[in-house]
Amino acid sequence: MISSTGLFQGRHGKTVDTPELLQFALAGLKNGSIYALVALGFTIVYASTGVLNFAQGEFVMLGGMLSVWAYSTLGLPLPLAGLLGVLLTGLVGVIFELLAIRPRKDGDPLALIIITVGGSMLLSSLARHLFGPTEKALPRFSEGSVNIFGASLERQSLWIFGIAAVAVVLLTFMYSYTRLGKAMRACAIDRNAARLVGIEPRMMVTLSFGLAAILGGLAGLATTPLTQTAFNVGPSFGVKGFAAAILGGLGNPFAAVLGGLTLGLLESMSVAFISSTYKDAISLIILLLVLFVRPQGLFGGSSRQKV
Amino acid sequence: MRAARRTLLALTLVIALAVVPLAGCSSTDGGESTDNGTDEAKEPYRIGAVLSMTGTYAGLGEPEKNALEMEVARINEDGGVNGHPIEIIYEDDATDADTAVAATSRLIDKEGVLAIIGATGTGGTMAMRGEINRAGIPQISPAGGTVITGDFDPLVFQTPWSNSLVVPYTLDYIAEQGISKIGIIADSGGFGADGLAVLEANLADAGLEAVATEAFNAGDTDMSAQLTKIQGAGAEAVVMWTAGKEASIIATNMKDLGMTIPLYGSHGNARVEFIEGAGAAAEGFRFAAGKILIPEAYGDTTEAYQVALDFIDRYSAEYGKAPDTFAGHAYDALHITVNAMSTLDEDFTAAELRDAIEATTGFVGIGGTFTYGADDHNGMTADDLVMYEVKDGTWVLAE
Repeated sequence: MISSTGLFQGRHGKTVDTPELLQFALAGLKNGSIYALVALGFTIVYASTGVLNFAQGEFVMLGGMLSVWAYSTLGLPLPLAGLLGVLLTGLVGVIFELLAIRPRKDGDPLALIIITVGGSMLLSSLARHLFGPTEKALPRFSEGSVNIFGASLERQSLWIFGIAAVAVVLLTFMYSYTRLGKAMRACAIDRNAARLVGIEPRMMVTLSFGLAAILGGLAGLATTPLTQTAFNVGPSFGVKGFAAAILGGLGNPFAAVLGGLTLGLLESMSVAFISSTYKDAISLIILLLVLFVRPQGLFGGSSRQKV
Repeated sequence: MRAARRTLLALTLVIALAVVPLAGCSSTDGGESTDNGTDEAKEPYRIGAVLSMTGTYAGLGEPEKNALEMEVARINEDGGVNGHPIEIIYEDDATDADTAVAATSRLIDKEGVLAIIGATGTGGTMAMRGEINRAGIPQISPAGGTVITGDFDPLVFQTPWSNSLVVPYTLDYIAEQGISKIGIIADSGGFGADGLAVLEANLADAGLEAVATEAFNAGDTDMSAQLTKIQGAGAEAVVMWTAGKEASIIATNMKDLGMTIPLYGSHGNARVEFIEGAGAAAEGFRFAAGKILIPEAYGDTTEAYQVALDFIDRYSAEYGKAPDTFAGHAYDALHITVNAMSTLDEDFTAAELRDAIEATTGFVGIGGTFTYGADDHNGMTADDLVMYEVKDGTWVLAE
């Protein structure tokens, strides 16, 4: 199949021109912004617990499914339905933490990671039983697309970029300048020391799961109009978001977003110049190479604790 | 104390959440089978059904199970076959080939079924073959892969139109529109990879050239890059082969990229969810499939038209929505099996049942008119297909 493409390109002398290259870049950034939003959710939980939450993809699924439910079944207008869907997802995140994470009091990261894997299976089975097996759609927030130097981009993608940008600014501000953010980070560094200075670590962990779920819910709400959603989309979002978070550097919101965009660009450039069949393999190989050279991720600070 | 109680509470909740849906399913299943067993004096004929109730193909397995449940109830109300009621034992393969094999073993060894309908997917269907051969019972698959009957096994039958039937029909149609260069985009999974192989094998016969061939994976969120490549290669039409929800992403991506060349799909896209997901971008989308979507296509004086209308009416009344093609494939699988049973003596063997299924001639089902033969276990022809076009949010017959 590679040869048939090559044959044609040779005969017509067709190479990748500038608008086309720009289109590839936009396609990559579009996917990348989705990965970035999911990666941010990983970052929040990691920043307060040192744990990778493998149920993060399910929060994305729930954000979409609950918004569709509020929009189609309850008949709410889209903004209200989206708000309800995202808030309910946040509530699920809090309940998930209280029921599944908190009872494991010693905070052993390995045990907690396994719990999140089990939790993700439970959440997707529940969604399957509550909402049925078929895929669901939402209307776009804004229709149409914009033309950028001959390449086009859906307006809906601008929403995703916007949400990611606002989220990263707010999170960076929170972690650097607010007591709450500093308290969350303190919990990940040393729970007991954090408790000694008057921080309630359990509260911080619950909050971080709620916040991560809200962010995942936002990602689900913003991407469903483009991709539809279904009970089983969680794991693929989770894997891409996880890869993005690792590529950028765990625990740092800004690095997570850059990691997501980089991963998206890598994939689309693989399609453009090598082969769409191997795009996931190519980006994962690059991810591994990066980790060999920079275990803390491309944009992670060198002082971060090792992953 | 407090912590222990809380842990207990958490555990109870989790278990309750996990068990309640399961309990719901098994109690209804159990209820049905005892009804069937006790109502009749004669032993029921037991048929196994391996369907994807969860996992990627859950959206296909559900209508299949609906159709089977409805039709079995009707057959039993009419007195069953040779006075024996039909009992179907359902297994969920979770869209996983290994689970399908385990389910098949259970149906054979524990339930002693006479035939198995399944699996929903091509992967599961193929994986079950070893167990089917061990037991020597017939398998009737509602999955669409060409390999199911292409890689011939005397015990295995198929009810959907296979890619080897739909692909040449679609390519010929495209060539008739005056198109010579196409771009292909297919998913890397079973249905897409199967379709891609058949597409590449049939391009030359149809007089078409593939100027770009692109792939994507299930779960991908955007296909703009692949489509940009197809557009850059100068394709005059895009041919998409996938049965997943990514189909509607491809349609919307094309619209957003401002691509005006036509998009052709396959019978894998004959689902309302595709139109709902793609919205305005679905307009003008064409795909070939059987005639169930618009029963008038059968010709309104034909027997097939009556059979289809009857099925659509009863299914719509029972489940509140029209049956899709997958419900039709399960309907055909069951009725072909039951019809074969009715031609046999009361205590037939599995080998006799296989021979009787192979002898099916002119069975008017939902997918088309089936005539199996010693080397044809798909049983349909291109006459059973028709080209559809999406117009104003619904499918109409393409002119």
